[in-house]
Amino acid sequence: MATLEVRGVRKEFGKLVALDGLDLDVGDGEFFVLLGPSGAGKTTTLKCVAGLETPTAGRVFIGGRDVTDVEPNARRVAMAFENYALYPQETVFDNIAFPLRSKRYYLPPAEAKSLIERVTATLGIGHLLERMPGELSGGQRQRVALARVLVRPADVLLLDEPLSHLDAKLRAAMRAELKSLGELQQTTSLYVTHDYLEALALGDRIAVLRAGKLVQVGTREDLWHRPVDVFVARAFGQPQINLLGGQIEQRDGEAAFVTPDGLVRVPLGPVDLPSGAAVELGVRPRDLVFGEEPGMHPLRGRIYVVEPLGRQREATIQIGSQQIAVVTPFEDLQPDALATVSAPPERLLLFDRDAGQRIPLAMPGGVEETPQWREVEVSGRG
Amino acid sequence: MRGGTALAPTEQANDGLLPAWRRSARPYLLVIPAVALTIGILYPFVQGAIYAFQNYKATRPNPEFIGFRNFERILTDDKFWHSVGVTAKFAIGATLVETVLGVAIALLLARSSLVSRTLERFLILPLMVAPIIATIMWRLMMQPSVGILNYVLSPIGLGNQAWTDTPAMAMFSVILIDVWIFTPFVALLVLAGLRSLPRAPFEAAAVEGASFWFTFRNLTLPMLWPYILVAVIFRLMDSLKVFDVIFALTGGGPGNATMALQIQAYQDAIPFSNFSIGQTYMLILWFVVYLATFGLIKVLAKAQARAAGV
Amino acid sequence: MAAIEANPVLAEQEERAATRRWSVGGIALDLLTIVYFIFALFPLVWMLLLSLKTPDQLFTTYFRFTPTLDSYRAVLGLDASGSVPFVRFFINSLIVSFGAVLISLLVGVPAAYAFARYQFKGGESLLFTLLSFRFAPELMVIIPIYVIYQRIGLFDTHLGLIWVYQLITLPLIVWILRSYFQDLTPELEQSALLDGYSRPQAFVKVALPLVKPGMAAAALLAFIFAWNSFIFPFILTGSNAQTVTVGALSFMGGATPRYNLTAAAALIALIPPLLLALSIQRYLVRGLTFGAVKG
Repeated sequence: MATLEVRGVRKEFGKLVALDGLDLDVGDGEFFVLLGPSGAGKTTTLKCVAGLETPTAGRVFIGGRDVTDVEPNARRVAMAFENYALYPQETVFDNIAFPLRSKRYYLPPAEAKSLIERVTATLGIGHLLERMPGELSGGQRQRVALARVLVRPADVLLLDEPLSHLDAKLRAAMRAELKSLGELQQTTSLYVTHDYLEALALGDRIAVLRAGKLVQVGTREDLWHRPVDVFVARAFGQPQINLLGGQIEQRDGEAAFVTPDGLVRVPLGPVDLPSGAAVELGVRPRDLVFGEEPGMHPLRGRIYVVEPLGRQREATIQIGSQQIAVVTPFEDLQPDALATVSAPPERLLLFDRDAGQRIPLAMPGGVEETPQWREVEVSGRG
Repeated sequence: MRGGTALAPTEQANDGLLPAWRRSARPYLLVIPAVALTIGILYPFVQGAIYAFQNYKATRPNPEFIGFRNFERILTDDKFWHSVGVTAKFAIGATLVETVLGVAIALLLARSSLVSRTLERFLILPLMVAPIIATIMWRLMMQPSVGILNYVLSPIGLGNQAWTDTPAMAMFSVILIDVWIFTPFVALLVLAGLRSLPRAPFEAAAVEGASFWFTFRNLTLPMLWPYILVAVIFRLMDSLKVFDVIFALTGGGPGNATMALQIQAYQDAIPFSNFSIGQTYMLILWFVVYLATFGLIKVLAKAQARAAGV
Repeated sequence: MAAIEANPVLAEQEERAATRRWSVGGIALDLLTIVYFIFALFPLVWMLLLSLKTPDQLFTTYFRFTPTLDSYRAVLGLDASGSVPFVRFFINSLIVSFGAVLISLLVGVPAAYAFARYQFKGGESLLFTLLSFRFAPELMVIIPIYVIYQRIGLFDTHLGLIWVYQLITLPLIVWILRSYFQDLTPELEQSALLDGYSRPQAFVKVALPLVKPGMAAAALLAFIFAWNSFIFPFILTGSNAQTVTVGALSFMGGATPRYNLTAAAALIALIPPLLLALSIQRYLVRGLTFGAVKG
């Protein structure tokens, strides 16, 4: 049990800068998710924490102790690798028992055996102990790798895309399973993924990385409802958030969003931007509802295309030269028909078009209700 | 519930501490023995290079530096240029035959017919015979009294060959032996290449009804090229420094018809104990091979990248 | 060569071969294959025959005779003459080849691992230097070593040969092993580190067992090349440390060449490499090309 701090870590591989001054604070026992596209520096972060890579600059602290110059085997850190890194010449049992046979994490064989049996039973791989890793499916290998991490004591758990090689169904099941594992709940964990659903489902807090830099850290509600910029807003949600291009129109201290063709006009309340400022208005496809709703902003256009999306469907609506996506259970949607969708004002996000920064809106209602991601999770990802 | 014993706090503070410079020293520690050994081997190399600028003979144990005089002497000596010609003739001839024959054998074996699968396991045998032993073997076969080659060839009217007596036949014979030993090397490589080729393009060609020659020239050969190139370069560079085969078959003769560079250098340096002259020959040969090694490195890197890509 | 059964292209070729086996073209190609293998294997067979003949039969018959092991007895000094100590040559070859490979392994394994796992200053040039040994003309180093050995007493000794054989064995072992280590994902050892093992332990427990087959193949191939070497022992040994390659040639000389003894000696000399080669057949391509071609 320990806190984890990453202070200004920079990592260069030759000319390539993989991490550029990264700062992270992970609390004791926290489940912390690193989310980002490939090449963002997620795995490099894990390896710097584990000591498998030496930072070019910056320090790493575990439990308040500066471990930057400490060998990996003395950091009390466990890591599940993306490629599982199972020892191909050892049985599943020997793989899991491997750390318990080291001097540092030694357990007497009898104790080790009962511990392994307990952990593997929880993970549902108790019957595979005599197999070789080569004989296992991807999902089974992943559980073995996880078991090897869970049987040993560790101050910090590092999990590198443990679910990325699984098929969609297994991934959803394992996501739920991971959450229920006590060891993961109690131990400070750093979990790397490029899948926003995993991040939302598992993370006590989530950090979004881009090109070796931290973009935003926060709870799932923070990231979903208050993304710092367009990049973060786009990183969450499938289909992606709608972004309508337009500009600000100021009148009597009240601002409005207007598209260039004037087809959309959304009052925004007071906004600290001059008239004519180029902005983007963001609204998530699942927040839009068909029809005109009182208290919401109507957007009028023509249905362009309708695609089934599980039990729901995704309609693309053409408004002038721009398109927005709507996810709806509504079935009677005909292409080319006129349609009106309504946007709840408290769900609108305004971004500076050039910098991509989110501009706060003073909206009634607040955003503290049940976040939308739960619904997203249940309905699957398209 | 989990395993492991906790360390005392003071113990933990220093546990596993390893400053960055120690970590970056790690690869150097691992190669120190190899470096030591390499230096041990390089020392005579350097010593040998120095001889080339001295007048060192067994009869003159305290040599002096004479600048480039050895090079002047050798480069104006017909003996040297004759050796260069012999070496080039041998290297190019042997490599050419081995490559063409090796590729052909590989193609035959890649058919995987019953016959070729049965015989393939014997492919490597000539390659594993020491060149000196192989040459002894062939010398016995070429021997006029006990030898069998003339007997075997007599039905087709070639029964009375003097295998090593004329300059042309001597060159032919040493190339023949080299071909016997090293054709499997080329065949083995090209066969490995053939078997790693992706099958999709060939299926497509078969569907299109392409002829064997069309497929071979436009698909097989270009894709095999890295393998063939590696084989050619290995063979070319090895045959430039040929020694065993010529030494054991003709000793450089008849006359000096097969006096390749390394044979000539041997003659000067060992029986005649003129170390400096022999070493000058070697330095020139080494320089040529060294330049070629640069090329090899590039080809190897490319072939490796390609092999990784496929 | 590797995993012939597993190769789908091969399987298909075999299928096709089955349908084609009895075609005229197929038979012609099979015949060509057979012709080459007669060329490749006949010398070995004929030498075996020669070694089983009596001195008289050498000149009187090609194929019809009663085989005798007299030549082998003579070569191995088991008969009365006991002229050439070929047994000692054989033991010398074993000692120097084995010794050279052993030293190359001890020195080369850590180096190959370092080359595969780390990028460090000077690493590339060391690798290149090692490779250039493979292509350096042997005399280039033999002449000075000949002079040096005479001076320091290593001439005609096992140790002296083992030392120069590093030119043959060390580059081979370093380059081949490097390519095998490169095939191994570093995350296996990293995982072992995090599992509480030291770096040497991670290497010994995880990396080493996985490259063992490749290492064995590299070692055997190095052994074969050391065994087959001629020019080094020819110039750097006298009667004491002489090897089989030099010894076999000595039968050719003399006033009355003893062809049957030469054949027997040559055959004895080529048995170890042939046996070893057959056991590492599927690793040969990579070995012979220093890891450039992964057969």
